[in-house]
Parts: sequence; structure tokens; C-alpha cells
Amino acid sequence: MALVQQIQLQREAGARNRARRLTGSPALRVAGRRLLAIIPVLIGVTFLTFSIMSVLPNDTAQAILGLNATPSAVAALNHTLGLDQPFWQRYWHWLTNVLHGNFGSTVQGASVNHELAVHVPTTLGLLLYALVVSVLLAIIVATLAARRPNGIMDRLSLAVSMLGLSTAPYAFAFLLIIVFAVKLSWFPVLSGPVTGPGSFFKNLTLPACSIGFGLFAIYTRLLRADLVEQMQREDYIVTAKAKGVPPWRVLTRHALRNSTFNLITVIGLNLGGLVGAAAIIETIFQVQGIGNDLLTGISNHDAPLVQGITLVFALVTVAGNLLADLAYAVLDPRIRYGSSSS
Amino acid sequence: MPVRLRLMSMRTACLAGAAAMVLTAAACSSSSTSTPSGNGSGAASSTSSPTSAPLKSGGSITVLESSGYSGAWTTLDPPNNKEGAATQDFMTAIYGQLFELGTGGAIVPDLATGYSFSPDGKTLTINLRQGVTFTDGTPFNAQAVYTNWMRDLGTVGISNGFNSPWPIAELPAPKTAPPGTAEPPAAGVVQVTGPYTIVLHFTAPDGAAVDQLFDNIETWIASPAALQKEGASFGQSPVGAGPFVMASNVPNSELVVKKNPGYWQTGYPLLNQITFKTVGSDEAAYEALLANEGQVYENMSTNQVITESQAHFTVENNLGTSPYDLQLNTAVPPFNNPKAREALYAATNFAPILQHLFGGRGQTTEGFTGPGGICYEQTVPGYQGYDPTLAKQLIQQTGLNKVTIQLGTISIQTAQDSMQALATEWESLGLHVKQSYWPLSGLIAAFEANGGKSWQAMVQTAGAYDPATGVGVLFRFGSHSPFSGVHDPKLDTLLSEAAGSTNLSTRCGFYNQAEAFIAKNYYGPFFFNFSPPNVAVHGVSGPGITSPLASVAVVPTIPWEDVYYNPSSS
Repeated sequence: MALVQQIQLQREAGARNRARRLTGSPALRVAGRRLLAIIPVLIGVTFLTFSIMSVLPNDTAQAILGLNATPSAVAALNHTLGLDQPFWQRYWHWLTNVLHGNFGSTVQGASVNHELAVHVPTTLGLLLYALVVSVLLAIIVATLAARRPNGIMDRLSLAVSMLGLSTAPYAFAFLLIIVFAVKLSWFPVLSGPVTGPGSFFKNLTLPACSIGFGLFAIYTRLLRADLVEQMQREDYIVTAKAKGVPPWRVLTRHALRNSTFNLITVIGLNLGGLVGAAAIIETIFQVQGIGNDLLTGISNHDAPLVQGITLVFALVTVAGNLLADLAYAVLDPRIRYGSSSS
Repeated sequence: MPVRLRLMSMRTACLAGAAAMVLTAAACSSSSTSTPSGNGSGAASSTSSPTSAPLKSGGSITVLESSGYSGAWTTLDPPNNKEGAATQDFMTAIYGQLFELGTGGAIVPDLATGYSFSPDGKTLTINLRQGVTFTDGTPFNAQAVYTNWMRDLGTVGISNGFNSPWPIAELPAPKTAPPGTAEPPAAGVVQVTGPYTIVLHFTAPDGAAVDQLFDNIETWIASPAALQKEGASFGQSPVGAGPFVMASNVPNSELVVKKNPGYWQTGYPLLNQITFKTVGSDEAAYEALLANEGQVYENMSTNQVITESQAHFTVENNLGTSPYDLQLNTAVPPFNNPKAREALYAATNFAPILQHLFGGRGQTTEGFTGPGGICYEQTVPGYQGYDPTLAKQLIQQTGLNKVTIQLGTISIQTAQDSMQALATEWESLGLHVKQSYWPLSGLIAAFEANGGKSWQAMVQTAGAYDPATGVGVLFRFGSHSPFSGVHDPKLDTLLSEAAGSTNLSTRCGFYNQAEAFIAKNYYGPFFFNFSPPNVAVHGVSGPGITSPLASVAVVPTIPWEDVYYNPSSS
């Protein structure tokens, strides 16, 4: 009986230790802190968005009804939409509804929850597609370029990157349309609904390329520069070379891993910028995503829709940056967040 | 005169099609029309639409709609559809219309067969087509129209900001209601006097009553049975008696309609299916047409893309009815001085602007009427045209060169381009101009700021198919409109008398007098009529696509039942 109790105590002690280890994990601590920090950030974002939509020289009802609507008609619609209430009352009403999972209705009467549920996956898929392809291609091209600085591959990548950096995504979108939709008929000009992997690649490849080309250019230049610097200046590279590790292996196994840190930082920072790109590109290709909705919402002075979408984008941006921070820890176990010994 | 020319061209088209007599004969007899009412009544007569390809029944097309205007919709329930006029394509395809605005500006009976006014112009009787059923099998009749109008004019329409297009008596407003609040119609305003006869009683003569149906929700009649059965979801799966039946509906993205097999007009619609698809820009629409992902794009407004399109597609310049004009605020300096206003008339030459900015599409004009609308006159007696010598004299004389003219407009490309060109022209004559542009709400605020005394000059549009409807002439030149810079009781009287008469020639007499009065007092120069063209791949034919249609205000309503696609002729 005593043995059983002893085993039980040992088990409980082990469980406590495991729990302590788990809760003491630096990655988890940073995740927890960041998750807590998300709350004021999101409230701040919603408040700012709400304030901006409120102070804009607009009248939602008038925008909907047009110039020849009578003042009484405008007043009636404002009342129906609840826009005749004071700012704080509207904001509080909206915020409490959001906390209960209700994002409200668009000014046309559709459910914002429904709009988000239908369109968020498409936009996230598009952005992820653009991001993954641009990062993978950037890693390949930058590595090839850094292998022989000022070589043919390096110069070629420089030219392509400069093109990507100097071409606006919407202009590149039309170039892609002319070549791949009109001339070659490989992809559609106007995206249809995404219903599976086939339609995903068919409908979102050109939009993803339009968004991703500029990102690819940035990532390639950044990574190439970092790789070249690592290869030329770092002691561990000299050591590896002195040990007889082949140059290609030194580049891909040693330098690339270290250079990825800067890339991750930039990817995290870029997430917010992707929102704007998505809004423009989705409109051109008529992708049924929230970027397209955002522009429609802004032009209609549709505060509930704009706020809902902004909140989603804010969440994505914060989550992306959190993932980037966690990725540091995964890539380099020496990193201890918030620890003086790190 | 233009109407007569168009009728002649229609006749010529029918005769020229004699080689394909059977098909063409069908086209020539398919639409029944009446000319604009000259005596306060209208009835069916037979005419046709000119076509560019041999008529073909069957097939399907994709129609691209701009996301900024006609491609944005949430519900297709008429009194809940706040984008009503913009979504006229969908609404008309599903519901049809009581009357259509046809080729040559004719009022074409559709679900209504005719109308008549009482001698005092205060009662309108509309006769409805017999034997028509909604696509759910229930009958279309006067009771159905009554049910719809009670929703449109009543609480459903009012809660969505719709006002009655007609001068009707309303129920007394509650004491707590703010002044001017719309109320449902009083008892007896709308009366069913027979199974297929409905009567409207006005508080004042309204000669524009039938024209006021165009682009208004009252022209789209929904099935009362379906309204009751579907409730709130009716707007997503509407049921009407139009040429097409809704097949699928993804708001703001894609609407598919299929041929209504029970449509009242035998042999119509010609197409089996239409897919309306939203597109983000003129450029994207152009590329989609090139890739054959769409066959028709409506309301293209980017000049360069229109020019490009002419090389590949059919580009139909429809008939404008709402000219651009310069509104001058006569209540405040400097334009409270008639000589300063005259200086701007003499300094304004819109012909080269029209040529260079808009490729010569559209017509310069001197009044608020357009070639697609009623009472059109391109030149107005006494209108001060471009005269740079006189302009310089008047500018010096009035000291207009010593002030900065505040010129504003709405943030729409056509308006902004016009304003920029105009400012450049004026500056070459020594004027100083500060330009501003706003979205609609900002523009409204600019008009209303400081009790309407802050603004000086605005580039706007004035008029409609019927000047008494929509953003009509009273809206821009009437004393009681907050968007008018003119406060002249004589002009108010002329415009009211024009709207009140049921006799077209009497109405036109008043409107033409009003145009001359505006010109004489230099109340605002007019620029040009422009209606964004419709672009279609070769082989698509129909009114508004291969023959010009009149715009109600901005764009025409295409009768989709008459449109067909014959790819072999492209």
C-alpha cells in the first residue's frame, strides 16, 4: 500500500515537474505575453478604425441613397442603421456584440459574420499562397546568387528583383493577365469561386503571383545580401571551410540558417502591408475575398464591414508576428525570451 | 428630329434585313412600342430594334458589371434594394418592367399595356397586361401591383430611404416625427379599379408620372405569394414575371438567370441564360472580353480603354440625357454678379475638351436636355457661347481676375477631368482657380456648408430622360433645392408648369423657355451629354448594344429579352 502511495506521489511530482517545465518554456511564456498584448492592440485598432470611419466627412445613408434623397429619407435610413446614436454608444454596442461573436450587419443588411466566414478563407489562402511561393523562390534564387557574388545568376537575380521592386502589383497583374489569361488562356481573368485544390490553383495563381512578385524581390535582395555577408565575414564560416566542408554545403547548411532570421523579421513586418496588396489585387481579379470587401466597404462608408475586416487583418498581422517570434526560438534554441542570460 | 432619324434608321434596318426576312420580321414585330406621349396617354404600337447580326435564339452570355456601380448588390427585393437603379439589369431581367424606355426614347408597354391621365392631370390610370403569370405560377394582376406599391411606398420602402416618386397624399405623421418625414400613402391614393386596372391619385398634376417609373422600384413587381412564402429570404431568390428566372445568386459577385419558359412574349427571351458577373475595373473588363470570359460590359467610362475597345468590339455610345453643367452660386460673390457669370460663359469652350478628353463621344449642349430625352434642343436661343475677347473684357470689368474661383466636383474621373480641363482653359484667360473634389458625401457637405453660402462653382450633371425625374433640373436650378445656386421664382414657375402638364408639347414649351431663361440670366453654362458606352463582343446584338438607347439619368436599361448572341456572325 505504501509502495502504491509512493508511486502515486512520484507520478504526481512528475506531472507537476512536466507542467512546470511546460509553463516555464520561454516560447510559451512569450506566446502568452504576446497573446495578452493582443487584447489592447485589437481594442486600439477597432477604436481607431471606428473613430476614422466616424470622423470622415460622410453620411452613410446619403452615400447609399444618393444625392437626390430627401433629408427625411436620409434620417430614416440613419435611424434604421442605428447611425443616429452617439459615437460612444455605437462603439460600445459594436464592441460588446463582437465579444459575443456578432460583427453586426453591413449597411445593405447582410451579416458581416457571413461575409467574413465566406471570404476570409479565400483571402488567407491567397496571401499564404503568395507568401509561401515568394519565400521559397527567394530562398532558392538568393542562395544561387550568393554562391557566386557578381556571377551571372547574381546579376540575373538582381535584374529580376529590381523589376519586382519597381513594378506596382496592379501593373504586374495586368501583365500577367495579358500573357497568361488572354494570350495563353492558362488562367482566368476573373476568378471564380474556390471550391477545391483545382479551383484554388486555377483562380488564385495569377493574383498570388501579382502579390508575391514584389515580396519575392524584397526577400531575394535581403537574403542574398545577408548570405554574402555571412559567407565573407563570419568566423564560423571560415571554420567550416577550414574543416573542409564543401562551399555549397557551408552556404546551405550554415549560412542560410543564420540568414533566415532577418528574413523572418521582414516577413512578419510585411504581413500588414499585404492587406493593401490583397485589396487591390482581389479587386482586379475579382477574387471573392475580404480585400475586395474592404474597398467596397470603404466606398460605401460601411463601418461594420470595414471594422470587421480590419479586426481580422489585425489578428492575422499580430498572429503572424507572434509566429515569427516563435520561429526564432525554433531555429535557434539558444534564444531565451525575456531571460537575462539569453 | 433625332427621334425621327432613329425611327427611320430602325425601319431601314428592318428593310435591309429582307434577305433574312423570316428572322428579321420576327425581330421587327417582337417589341411593341409607343412614342412618347403627346396627349397624356400611351398605347401599344409596333416597331423594332435595329440589329447587326442575324437573329438567333438560344445560347448564353456573360455580362460584366462594374463593382463600383452595377456589380454591387445585396438583395433583389425591390423596396429593400438600396442599389435599385444601379442594379436595373438584374431587376429588369427577373421582374420585367411596367413600361420600358425603348429605342428612340419611346415608352414601351411591357407588363402594362397603356396609361391615361385624367383631364386635370391628377389621376393616372394604368392598364396591365392580361394572362401574365409570375414564375411561381401565381397571376400578375392589379392586386399584385397594389401589394407591391404598398410595400414600396409604405413602411418597407420608407425604412430604406425610398420616397414616393409621385406627389401623393400621405398618412398624418405622428407628432414626434421630425418635419418632412415620409409616411405611407393615405387611403385611396392607390386604387384597384379592375382586375387589370390600377389608379393613382396625385395631390398635384404630374405629367411625368409614367417617366418617374423608370429606374424606380415601383416598376418592378414581385410575386405577392412568393413574398409571403419566402419572407426575409425573398431578396436572395426573387420571383417576378420578367423574361428570366433566377438560377443562382452570389451577392456582389455573380447572378445567373435562365430563360423564363412562361414569359408572356412568345419566342422571348432570345437567350437561354445570362450570367451577370462583377468586375473590378474597365481594364479588367476589357481583358476579360478579350479572353472571351465575358461578352458584354456595360458603362465603360475610361476613355483610353474605350478607344482600345473600338478596335476589337462593338462599342455603342448610348444617348445621354443628363448633361454636365457648371452650377454657379448666385447667392454669394462673385457670381451674384450677372456680368461675372457671363464672363464664365464667354470663357468656356467645351468642344475641344470633349474632343480631347472624351474622344468626341457625346454632344456639346446649351441646356439641360439631352438627345436621349424628351424636349431636347441642342442650341438654346440667347446662349452666350465661347468668346475669349468678351471673356477678357468681362473678367477685367468684374475684377474676376483678382479673386480665386472655388471650383469643385464629385470624385468621379469624368467630372474631375472636365473640371481640370475647364480650369486650364479659364486660367489661360487670366482667371485663378482652386479645384476641389469630394466623394458624394463630401460634396453634399460642401453644398450645405454655411447654409449653402460657402461654395461658388460646381461641375455637376443636371437633367434626366424627363427633366422632372431623378436628378432633374429643379434639383440643380430650383429655389428650394439645397443643391441649387439659383433662387428665381420665375424659373421655379416655368419648371413647375412643365412638370405639371400632361401634354408633351406643352411641357417641352415650358422646358425650352426655362433653358432660354437660364441662358439669358447666365445661371450656368452647359457642357456636354455623355453616356458611358456599352461594349460587346461581335455577335451580341440588341438595344443598347448594337442600337442606341436613351439613359434614364446616367445609363440606359437594356431589355435583356431582346438581346441575342450569334457567335457565327462575329
